[in-house]
Amino acid sequence: MAPSAAESPSAMQAERLRQDGNTYFKKDRFGAAIDAYTEAITLCPNVPVYWTNRALCHRKRNDWTKVEEDSRRAIYLDHSSFKALDLGRGANPQSYIVEEIWQELAKAKYQEWEHESNKRSWELQTLKEACESALKEKISLDSSQIEGFLDDTIDSNPAQLEAQLEALGQVFEKAAEPDLPTEVPDYLCCKITLDIFRDPVITPSGLSYERAVILEHMEKVGEFDPITREPLHLYQLIPNLAIKEAVQAFLDKHGWAYKTD
Amino acid sequence: MSSTSTGSTPPRQALSKIACNRIQKELVEWQVNPPHGFKHKVTDNLQRWVIDVNGAPGTLYANETYQLQVDFPEHYPMEAPQVIFVPPAPLHAHIYSNGHICLDILYDSWSPAMTVSSICISILSMLSSSTAKQRPEDNDRYVKNCRNGRSPKETRWWFHDDKV
Repeated sequence: MAPSAAESPSAMQAERLRQDGNTYFKKDRFGAAIDAYTEAITLCPNVPVYWTNRALCHRKRNDWTKVEEDSRRAIYLDHSSFKALDLGRGANPQSYIVEEIWQELAKAKYQEWEHESNKRSWELQTLKEACESALKEKISLDSSQIEGFLDDTIDSNPAQLEAQLEALGQVFEKAAEPDLPTEVPDYLCCKITLDIFRDPVITPSGLSYERAVILEHMEKVGEFDPITREPLHLYQLIPNLAIKEAVQAFLDKHGWAYKTD
Repeated sequence: MSSTSTGSTPPRQALSKIACNRIQKELVEWQVNPPHGFKHKVTDNLQRWVIDVNGAPGTLYANETYQLQVDFPEHYPMEAPQVIFVPPAPLHAHIYSNGHICLDILYDSWSPAMTVSSICISILSMLSSSTAKQRPEDNDRYVKNCRNGRSPKETRWWFHDDKV
């Protein structure tokens, strides 16, 4: 699926449009570049580089939904061959586009979480203090009303207050738990990167790996499953959407897990 | 001789970002859950770990302590780390007197899903199943060939057997 040397007239025209797009891109004329790449895509929809180039334009314009759409399409075309994969991510594996997008997104999401968790923790703290003083007030009020009746009730009041304050503390601790940075569960992490999944794929052994990393492994180390050592072929890698959703659900609840580096 | 083998450092390439992240994660996991019989004193050198190994009780190496030196390459974990014993190395049919270890997972059979922790366990199991304290037959020849500070990763290994 890699763009073969332009054979048909439409492929040749698409290549010219890509070059036009590149020229516009260099001049920061992203709208014009998008139009050129779109025409190229209409002519030759199976050339991943047209999609990734257009994704880069959308990225410059902060149009993240479209970045994702185009990147997905490119990756769908991409992983059918290593050659195409190299095209998609450039010579440097770290410029793999999913990784780039992830880094940008994670940074923003982490900042958002920092901001909101600060707010939440401040609100909880205020509420907790209010509850504590209300509780203390209530108990002293109760004890003043029954004063003189039952001596032992008065004695148990400090203990009762203590217990209720402790229970209250636990309730608030529980409420703050999702915002407390801890470890990401192992089942949401790739066994090679040891990091939370971004784009998990599952192998016939039933194990999941980060796509970019398992591809690098197959290219550099060998075509086998890194854990079971069963033979493994590119076409056998399938996106693991269930894990991806689980990761998203976890991240929505625990924004600290967006922390990179 | 011992100084040539341990003193030699593999050409130091800065760790890639992926390698850094991964080693950092392994380090945290090690601190929480170190493999039994091993002790790694954490330093700020992420790229070289020096690990104390205690021979397992009831084996030929009981009550003996050795040191492993682990050096991570730039593209870890796509490449195996270099793992050697700091001489004096344990007497074992697959361990050379310069500390080089003949163990397939460190070379041809490396997989990026392995960790320092799993390597350590393999090495300890190799020691534990040994029935005689002896050097490999070709020890002198091999060690002589490594005098210029060659890394064991450059050796073309043939693996003796998988029994010991």
